[in-house]
Amino acid sequence: MPSDPHAMPLILSRVSAAFADEADGVLALKDVSFSVPAGSFTSIIGPSGAGKSTLMRVILGLMPHESGTVVRNFSRSAMVFQNYALFPWLTALENVAFGLRMQGAGRTERERAAREKLKEVGLERFESHYPAALSGGQRQRVGLARALAVSPDLLIMDEPFSNLDTITAEALKADLLRIWRAYGMTILMVNHLIPDAIELSDQIIVMGAHPGHIENIVSIDLPRPRDTRSPKFFMQIDALTEVVRSIS
Amino acid sequence: MIHSVAHPQTRALHRAHVKRRRRTWFIMTGVVGAALFLWASGYFGDVIWPALGDAILRTTYRLLVAYGIALLLGVSIALLVGWSPLADLFFPLFDILQNIPSFALFPFFIYFFGSTDWMIILFAVSSIIWPILFAVLTAIKSAHKDLSDAATIFGARGVKRVYRYLAPLSFPAMLTGSVVGIAIGWEAVIGSEIISNISGFGTFIKGVDISGVSPSAIAGALGILVIVFVINRLVWAPLLTESAKRYAE
Repeated sequence: MPSDPHAMPLILSRVSAAFADEADGVLALKDVSFSVPAGSFTSIIGPSGAGKSTLMRVILGLMPHESGTVVRNFSRSAMVFQNYALFPWLTALENVAFGLRMQGAGRTERERAAREKLKEVGLERFESHYPAALSGGQRQRVGLARALAVSPDLLIMDEPFSNLDTITAEALKADLLRIWRAYGMTILMVNHLIPDAIELSDQIIVMGAHPGHIENIVSIDLPRPRDTRSPKFFMQIDALTEVVRSIS
Repeated sequence: MIHSVAHPQTRALHRAHVKRRRRTWFIMTGVVGAALFLWASGYFGDVIWPALGDAILRTTYRLLVAYGIALLLGVSIALLVGWSPLADLFFPLFDILQNIPSFALFPFFIYFFGSTDWMIILFAVSSIIWPILFAVLTAIKSAHKDLSDAATIFGARGVKRVYRYLAPLSFPAMLTGSVVGIAIGWEAVIGSEIISNISGFGTFIKGVDISGVSPSAIAGALGILVIVFVINRLVWAPLLTESAKRYAE
């Protein structure tokens, strides 16, 4: 791995964090250290209680951490949520334009950009729909478009596929890989499926629970686009499953 | 809107709403029909209509002004408190305040504001404000953490957070709070008119023979019913429909 910090949009060094709602100092994260190379795809897997969501919130500066250092060398981050977290009172287009609007972009400018992003995720015909009128897969696409609209160089995704059926998730995954190649941003994704993590990632961070800590960091060097049916792919799944099994 | 009606769930909701609206109109037509029948048969012969009209207008005016103030104050306070990190400190304080029976404080209102229109209006404000304030504050506090995080991540910070996130987020709560608040408001205004003898609907029904059901009392009740119905149909029903469509999960 390169050691130039500018090539590392995100570096965590011995980061510990408490649960937001517990005063008695129960740690959600303990001594978490890793770095994310620019333009790479990093997945985080681990059981519930491993503090994955807390980790995302610490990285985004949404909650303070107790000790350790978080070096943020990215200029703009955005997030895609497991539950979509779309604003129900806004149409798909207005949801996508939300970030630009907050930055003070004018109506024409932000709507043009938002239309472009909606088109990129295949939802150009749904711009005036409210989230309630969209399917889960469509909502997540709006969520992705909303994140892309602010041109993030770090995209954080918290289990973006886990509320979707397999077919929808596969289609969205393919689109995500296409978008990632086109934009070249750094992606940090909480994942719950080992094959997904291997298909998508350059590095996989395996976390353990109580308190959340890093068990292992696995590099995936398979060539892209990845053949998910090759023997090498299955061997990676095997190896990672073994790592995961050893911690539970 | 075509797309919302095309969605099966929305269509069912829409149908239920239309059905309910038909039923309301049906009942209202019955009430008006009965009133017309009573009127035609000379039952309302002794009712002093100008006095009743004047009473209802005064009371409605006080209620609407009080509601306007309560809405502005209640929503502002709830948004400010919900926006600040001190929300949890304010909750118990508000809880105690709203639990004080309004009429217990009535003498103070008379003492400070005298027997005036404004005394009644401000007294009504002190009743109407609580359901609105609590509805909005609860909506803000109980919003999904992810939604609040999304607002922060995509830049709804500082004052922008109030009007781009907190205000639209709490719009349905503001509506339901208002419906409850206005219902309480009628009681506060009419009750204080009865106690203070400031002329309005309260003094009107106090003045008529309240030991029996007089034609004046019935005319008064019908008058208020019509006003409540009109406010519901013209204001709350369309807003609730819009809110149900937009905020459906």
